[in-house]
Amino acid sequence: MSQAADSGLIHTFFNADIVRQTTPMVLEAVGQTIVVGVLVIVAGILLGTALATWRFHTQSRVLRALIVGYVDVLRAMPPLVILILVYFALPYVNISIGSVLATFLCLSVILSAFIEECVWSGIMTLPKGQMEAARSTGMSWWQSMRHVILPQALRLSLPQITNRCIAAIKNTALGSVIGFAEILGSAQAASSDYANPTPLTLCAILYIGLIYPLVLASRYLEHRAGIR
Amino acid sequence: MQEILDTFFNPAVAAQVLPMLLSGLWMTVKLAALIIPLGLLGGLALALAHTQTRSRKLRIAINLYVDFFRSFPQLVLVIFVSFATPFIGIELSPVVALAISFMLSTSAYYCEILRAGITAIPPGQTEAARSTGMSAAQTLRHVVLPQAFRNVLPDLLGNSIEIFKGTSLASVLGMSELLYSAQSAQSVLFNPTPLVLAAAIYLALLWPAVRFISALESSRRAQGG
Amino acid sequence: MQKKIILEAVDIRKDYGDLRVLNGVDIRVREGELVSIIGPSGSGKSSLLRCCNLLERPTAGQIIFDGEDITRDTVNINRVRQNMGMVFQQFNLYPHLNVLANVSLALRCVGKLGKAEANAVAMEALTQVDMAHKRDAFPGQLSGGQQQRVGIARAVALNPKIILFDEPTSALDPELVSSVLAVMKSLRERGMTMLVVTHEMGFARDLSDRVIFMDGGVVAANDTPDVIFSSQGNERMRSFLSRFLNER
Repeated sequence: MSQAADSGLIHTFFNADIVRQTTPMVLEAVGQTIVVGVLVIVAGILLGTALATWRFHTQSRVLRALIVGYVDVLRAMPPLVILILVYFALPYVNISIGSVLATFLCLSVILSAFIEECVWSGIMTLPKGQMEAARSTGMSWWQSMRHVILPQALRLSLPQITNRCIAAIKNTALGSVIGFAEILGSAQAASSDYANPTPLTLCAILYIGLIYPLVLASRYLEHRAGIR
Repeated sequence: MQEILDTFFNPAVAAQVLPMLLSGLWMTVKLAALIIPLGLLGGLALALAHTQTRSRKLRIAINLYVDFFRSFPQLVLVIFVSFATPFIGIELSPVVALAISFMLSTSAYYCEILRAGITAIPPGQTEAARSTGMSAAQTLRHVVLPQAFRNVLPDLLGNSIEIFKGTSLASVLGMSELLYSAQSAQSVLFNPTPLVLAAAIYLALLWPAVRFISALESSRRAQGG
Repeated sequence: MQKKIILEAVDIRKDYGDLRVLNGVDIRVREGELVSIIGPSGSGKSSLLRCCNLLERPTAGQIIFDGEDITRDTVNINRVRQNMGMVFQQFNLYPHLNVLANVSLALRCVGKLGKAEANAVAMEALTQVDMAHKRDAFPGQLSGGQQQRVGIARAVALNPKIILFDEPTSALDPELVSSVLAVMKSLRERGMTMLVVTHEMGFARDLSDRVIFMDGGVVAANDTPDVIFSSQGNERMRSFLSRFLNER
C-alpha cells in the first residue's frame, strides 16, 4: 500500500515524462533568469556605489536629501508594488515597457538603493584618518576614493551586499506576475497545462540550485567578517 | 502635466477607492501581525537550538534548513505550497498557505539574525552569570537574550519590514490585501490612481520605519559599535 | 646667510563654531630646520599643524609654503600636498594594501610613476626607515612602531620639502618609541625640514633647532631648546615643563 503511495507521490511531484517534455522551455527560462539576475546585480551595484560616492562628495544638502529620499522610498515599497506600478500604470500615459525590461529596471533600481546604504555605511565606518592620509600625500579626492576608501568600504559591507544580491535574484520570480517568462512563470504555465505540480517542483529545485551557492558564499563571508 | 495628475493622482478616483484600500490595508496588517510573531518564535527556537546544543549534527541540520529557505524565493514557495498541496489531498485556505510558507522562510532569517546576536555576546557574560549560580536557562533569559535582542534590533526591525512588504505576495493568491485591492480597483476603473494610492500608503507606513532603522544604525556607528 | 623659509604661518586663527582654538599664531620653519611644537592638551598644536597642509582650513590668516600663499582659493591643494609630507598619530596606514603598496600608492597616482619605478622609489624610502624586509606584510601584521615607520616612509617617498609630524609617538607603547625617534633623527641628519608636534621632551630638547611652546591657542614661547628647557620662561611653561625638568 505504501509502495503505491510512494510512487504516487513521485508520479505527482517528480513525473519523469513531464520533466522531459518541459525541460527545453525551462532551460530557456533559466537562461533568462540568470541573464536578468546578473544584469540586475551589476547595474544595482554600480548605481548604488555611484550614489553613495556622490552623497559623500556633495556639499549640497538638497542633493544629499534627494539621494536619501530615493533610497528610503525604494526600501520602503514592496518590490511587487513597484513592478506592478511600472508595468500597469505607465501605459496610461503611453509608456509601455516590456515585462523583461520592467523587471530589470525595477529590480536594479531597488537593489541600488540597498547597495547605496551598504556602501554608505562602509564609508562612514572607516576612520577619517584614511581619507586624510591619502589626501596628505597629494592624491585627489577621486583618487583617494578609488584606491583607499571604496575598496575598504565595499569589503566591509560585502556580507550585506551579497545578501541583497541574493534577494534581487529571488525577486526575479516576481517578474512572473507581470508576464516575464522566467522560471516561475514558465513553470506555472506548464503546471496548469499538465495539471501536475512537477514543473513547479522543478522550478523550486532550479531556483534553489541557482541561489544556494550564493547563500553558502554569503555564510562564508559573514564568518570571515566575524573573525576579522 | 495636468494629464499626469488626472491619470495618476485623480482625487475623485482616490476618494472612491480609499475605503476599499483601507480594508485591504487592514488585511495586510492582520497578515503581518500573524506572520511576524510566528516567524520570530520559530527563529528564536532555531537560534537557541543552534547555539545551545552540543550536537554538531543538529547544528548542521539547522544550517541546512536555514540555507534552504534563504535560497527559496518567497513567491515560489507561496505558490508551491498553495498549488501543489491539493495534489496530495490537502486543501489549504490561502491564509494558511501564506502563513505556513512565510513562517518557514522568515523563521530562517530571524534565526540567522538572532544567532548572530547571541554569538556576539562575549562568553564572559555567561561565565559571570553562571558563576553566581544562575542556571543556563536563567542566564539566557536575563543576561544573554536581552543583550542579543538589543544588539540586533535594527536587523530584526529590518526583517520585520521585509515581511510587511512580503504580504503583498498574498495578492498573487487572490487575497484582498492592499495590493490586490488596488489592482482590482485599477482594472475596474481603468485608472492607475488606486495603485499610486496603495504605494503611497505603503510609503506612509514604512518610510518612518526605514528612517528609524537608518538612524539607529548611524547612532550605532557614532558610538563605535 | 639664513636659510630660506620653507613654511610660514601668518596670524592664523581657527574657530570650531564658538570655540577659538588658534588665536593669532605666527611661526616660521627654515630649510633643514627641525622645529618642535610642545604644549598642554588643547593648546592648538595639532590644529596648527593640520592647518599647514590645509587638512583644516584656517578661519583667518595665511599659510605661505615655499613662497606661495596656499590659503588662496585658486591654489591646487593636491599639487601643494605632494611637496609636503604628513605623519599621523594613528599612523593611518591603508589596511587593505601591503607595506610596499602603502608607500607607492601616491607615487603612482600623483607622481605618475610607472609601477616598477614607483616600487623602486618606495623600496628606497622603506630602506631608509629600516622596513624594507616587511614590504609584503600588511599593516595588521606590524607593531605600532613598525607601522609608524612605514607611515614615515610613505611621507618620505614623495621627496617633500617638509614633513609635518602630528604627535608621531603618542600612540606607541614606550618600548617602541625609540625606534621611531631614531628614524626621525636620521631624517634630520639627511637634511629634511621637519615640523614636529610632540610630547617627547627629550627629543624636542636634543634634536630641535627651535622649540615653540603653545598655550591657549597662541605661541607663548619660541626659542632654542637651551632657552626653553632652562628654568627661565613664564609660569605656565615652567609648570608644564616642571615634571620633565625635575626628572633630568
